[in-house]
Amino acid sequence: MVKVRSLLIALMVMGIGIWAFIHFSQSEEKKVRKQFDLLSEWASKAQSETPLVMAQKIKKIGTLFAENCVLNVPLYSTSGSFTREEIISYAARGRLLFSELYLKFYDLTVTFPEEGTAKVSSTARLTGKLNIGENVDEIHELECVLKKIEKRWFFSHLEVVEVLKK
Amino acid sequence: MLLKRIVALEGEWVEFRDGKLLINGKELDEPYIRYPCNWNLSPRQVEVNCVYVIGDNRNMPMENHYFGQTPIRRIVGVPLW
Repeated sequence: MVKVRSLLIALMVMGIGIWAFIHFSQSEEKKVRKQFDLLSEWASKAQSETPLVMAQKIKKIGTLFAENCVLNVPLYSTSGSFTREEIISYAARGRLLFSELYLKFYDLTVTFPEEGTAKVSSTARLTGKLNIGENVDEIHELECVLKKIEKRWFFSHLEVVEVLKK
Repeated sequence: MLLKRIVALEGEWVEFRDGKLLINGKELDEPYIRYPCNWNLSPRQVEVNCVYVIGDNRNMPMENHYFGQTPIRRIVGVPLW
C-alpha cells in the first residue's frame, strides 16, 4: 500500500513538473512573439500619424532592443553591432522616408537553444508608400536572436536571410 | 512564404533574353505567362541542391520581382489545384 502511494506521489510530482515546463516555456514563447507584435506596431506608420505619435513610437522601438544589437541587412548595406541609440536613429530616419509604412511578421518559429536565449525565424513583409510616391512591397526572411535580461526579451541579433539569389 | 514556379534544376543554365526564358540556351515554352516582359538576365548556372524559381506574374521591372535560386530544403509544399 505504501509503495502504491509513493508511486502515485512520484507520478503526480512528475506530472506537475511536465505541466510546469510546458506552461512556462509556452508563456516564454508568447512573450517572445509579443516583442514581434510590438515591433510591427511601432515600426508601422499610418498616413495620418502626428509628430507626437511618431516620437512616442520611435522611443518605444528602442525599448525592444538590447544595449548592443547585431544587424546584418546586406540589402541596405547595414552590417555590424549597433547601440540602442543608433538603432533608434536608424528607425527614425527610415520612417521619415515613408508617408505610410506597415511591417508584418509571418510564420514565426520560436526555439530556445539555451536558457535566456530565443531564436526566431520569420518572414517579414514591409509595405507602404515612399514620400516620393513610390510603392514599396518587400518580403524578407529573418533570423533573430532575443536575449532575456531581467525577465524581458530584447532583440540582440537580426539578420536578413537571402532566400532567392538572382 | 512565397509561391513560385520551378523553372530549372541544379546544373542547368538560366537566362532571360528580351523577356524569353532560356534554359540551357533553349527557349522554354511558357503558356502560363499572360503578360510578356522584356527582362534580360545573363546566363547563370543553378548550384548543387538548389532550384531556380520564378513567379508567373512578370508584368513589372525585373528588379521588383522576387525570383532566383533557392536551396531545395527551403521548399515546404506544393499548391493544390
